Amino acid sequence: MRTSHERGIAEVTITVESTIKFPYKRSLGPVIGPFMTALAEQRFIAIRSGSRVICPPLEWDPETAAELPRDFVDVGPAGTVCTWSWVSRPTEQHPLDRPFAFALIKLDGADTALTHVVDVESIDQMSTGMRVAPRWRAERLGHITDVEAFVPGEEAITVNGGVPGEPVTMMSYDASITYKIPVSDNTIKAHEATAQGRLVGLKCPVCERIYARDRGFCPIDTVELTDDHEVELPQRGVVTSYTIITPVQYPGQTETEPFSRVMVLIDEIDVVMMYQPLVDVPVEDVRIGMRVAVVWASEAEKADAGRPGNLVGWMPTGEPDNTDPSLANRIM
Amino acid sequence: MNERCAIVGVGQTHFKKRRDDVSIAGLLREAIDRALADAELTLRDIDAVVIGKAPDAFEGIVMPEIFLADAVGATNKPLLRVHTAGSVGGSTLVVGAHHVITGIHGTVLTVAWEKQSEGNAQWGLAGGRSGGIGAGGAFAPWMRAYIQQSGAPDYIGWMVAVKDRRNAAKNPYAHLKMPDITLEKVKESPMLWDPIRFHESCPSSDGACAAIVTNEEGAKRAPRPPAWIHGLSVRSELGQFPGRNPVRPQAGVECAHDVYRQAGITDPRSQIDMAELYVPFSWYEPMWLEGHDIAGPGEGWKMVDTGETDLGGAFPVNPSGGVLSTNAIGASGMVRFAEAAQQVRGLAGEHQVDGVRTALAQAYGGAAQYFAMGVLRNTPPE
Repeated sequence: MRTSHERGIAEVTITVESTIKFPYKRSLGPVIGPFMTALAEQRFIAIRSGSRVICPPLEWDPETAAELPRDFVDVGPAGTVCTWSWVSRPTEQHPLDRPFAFALIKLDGADTALTHVVDVESIDQMSTGMRVAPRWRAERLGHITDVEAFVPGEEAITVNGGVPGEPVTMMSYDASITYKIPVSDNTIKAHEATAQGRLVGLKCPVCERIYARDRGFCPIDTVELTDDHEVELPQRGVVTSYTIITPVQYPGQTETEPFSRVMVLIDEIDVVMMYQPLVDVPVEDVRIGMRVAVVWASEAEKADAGRPGNLVGWMPTGEPDNTDPSLANRIM
Repeated sequence: MNERCAIVGVGQTHFKKRRDDVSIAGLLREAIDRALADAELTLRDIDAVVIGKAPDAFEGIVMPEIFLADAVGATNKPLLRVHTAGSVGGSTLVVGAHHVITGIHGTVLTVAWEKQSEGNAQWGLAGGRSGGIGAGGAFAPWMRAYIQQSGAPDYIGWMVAVKDRRNAAKNPYAHLKMPDITLEKVKESPMLWDPIRFHESCPSSDGACAAIVTNEEGAKRAPRPPAWIHGLSVRSELGQFPGRNPVRPQAGVECAHDVYRQAGITDPRSQIDMAELYVPFSWYEPMWLEGHDIAGPGEGWKMVDTGETDLGGAFPVNPSGGVLSTNAIGASGMVRFAEAAQQVRGLAGEHQVDGVRTALAQAYGGAAQYFAMGVLRNTPPE
C-alpha cells in the first residue's frame, strides 16, 4: 500500500491516497477454458445455441438458461465493428497507451459481438461497419489480451511463438484500485494529540459515551462531535480480555513469535481501547486484571518515518491486579 | 397479505478447498439444478431470483449478479442481490421468502455462494505484529470473555470441534470430514488465536447452496415433503460502540425472540428439536445457545458438556458438521436453512435427527452484528 499526503485539494486540507492491489485466480470452466485455449492458438471459437452462433461462447443459453451442448465452431478471424467508443486519454489500466477505440466486433460466422480494442491512429479512421482483423501477441497465455488489438482490414496479423502446451483452465487477474480519502479535522487533532503524548477522546453530550478522537460522531445519538467535546483520558487502565496470536507461515509472512493483543479499560472513565499491543510482557504473563499504562514512542522512534503512530503500546504498572469479576464484561 | 410459505427444494454443491473444474456460474448452477430436481421444477417455474454472497473482494468481481443473470435463469425476471456479510446466505433466503409471504411472487429461487479459492484467503489468518490479526484474532477476546464469565472448562471448545467434524463425516457435501478426530487431536493442534486452536477453526471452502421457496399452492404440488416457514427474522446492530456486549449481541437476542414469537415458541430448548447455528469457531456454539436464549446464562457450555448438542442428544446442534467443517462464507448462512429444512423434511440422510418437527436455522455476520434466523416445521402454520 502506498500512502501520500497532498495539500490544497478543494476545501479539504489533506487527503490520503491508498492503492489496494489483490491477486485473483479465475477457474474458467468447460466453455471459457476452450475459448481461452483457442486464443493461445490464434483462433476464435464460438458455441452453437440453436440456430445462433455465440462468441464469446456461453455455458448456458442466454434466453432459456438451458445448458448448451459443447458444440464449438471456429469463427473470424476478421469481423465487423457493430459500434464503438473512442478513448482519447487512456489511463494505466487501459489496454493501449495511446488513444484507441473500444468496439463491439461481430466476428465472421458469429451472431453476437465480442468486446475488444481497435488500434487506429485517430477517431477519423473509426466507423460502424468497418472491417477489422486481430493482431496477435507473440507471447500468448490463453487470455483475452492474447489479441493485442484489432486493426482495420481482412488479414489477421499472426505471430509464431509462445503457445501453452496444455489446455488453459485458469486465469490470473490482479485487481487494483486507488482511493483518495479526505482526512477530517478530528483525525488531524487525534494525530496531534498522540504526537504530544496525550490520550484524548470525544464525549457525546447526549449519552456521555466517549469515542476515539478521530470518530467525529456518536453513532448512538447521531450527534456530531467536535473540538468542543474533547476530553483528556487517563493514561492507565486494566486488561479486560486478550488473545495470544501465533503468526501463520503463509508465503511472504516470516514472523514466528507469538504476540498479544489486549482490551484495556481506561481508569475513571467508561472507555475500552481494543486490540492494543503490550510492551515487554512475555505472552505467558498476559492476564485479565493486569494494570497497565501507556508507552509513547521515544524521540528517536518518532523520527522513524516508517512508524505507524506514537502510541507504542501498554506496559504493566506493577500495581496489584484488579480482581473484579465483572471486568470480563467490558471488552468494548 | 400473508401467504403460507415453504421450502420445497434445496441443493448444495460438494464443498471443497478448490473447485477449479467449474466456473463461478457453473458452481451456482450445480446447486440450482439440484434444488430444481429436488422440487421437480424447471427454471420456467421460477418467478424471481434472489442471490447472495459475501464481499465482492473475495472473488474480485464487482456486482457478480450482472454477469450471472443468465446462468441463474433470471433473464427477464426480477433479480435481487442481498449483502449482509457472513449472514448473507440466511438473509438471502429471508428476502426470497418475503416475496412469497407478501404474495408478490409464487415461487422464488434463492442461491448463495462463495468461491474463496479465487481470491487469497490469507487475510483470514494472522500475520505478524505488522500484519493483520486475522478473523479469529478479532473474535478470540470475545470468546475469552465468554469463558471467563461462564466458567466453562477449555475442553468445551474441543468437544464442539470433535462433534462437528464427526457429524460432517456423515454429510456427503461437507468439506472437512474427520471421522477419527479426538479431543486429544484438537488439544494438540496448533494454537492460532488463544483460546482458539487450529482444529477449532473453520476451513476456507468453495461452494454454493440453493433453496426454492414457494406458496401453499406450490407446496401442495411439491413431490417431497415441504419445510414450512413459521418464522423469519433479520436484525443488525453497530459492530462497535462503547458498552456493546459482543458476546451476547442485542441484535441476536431480538432476532431470536422475534422468530420464537412468530412460531409460538416460549421454551426454545424443549420446543425446538434441532438447530443449525453459524459456528465458525468452536466457542460460538455455547455462545449462541446463550445468545439466543436457548440456554440460560452460563448454561450453554453445559449443554455441550452433557452431550445434549450431539447428533443423538436432546438438542442436536449442527448435525451437518456446520460452518466449522464447511465455510464458503456467502453460502454458509443458506446452508444452515437448507440443512434445517432437510431435517424437518426427513431428508437429511445419514445425519438425520430422529423425529424432527421443529428446526431452528441461524446465520451471523460481520462483527457478530448481522443476524438472520428462521423456524421451520414439517406442518404448515395454522
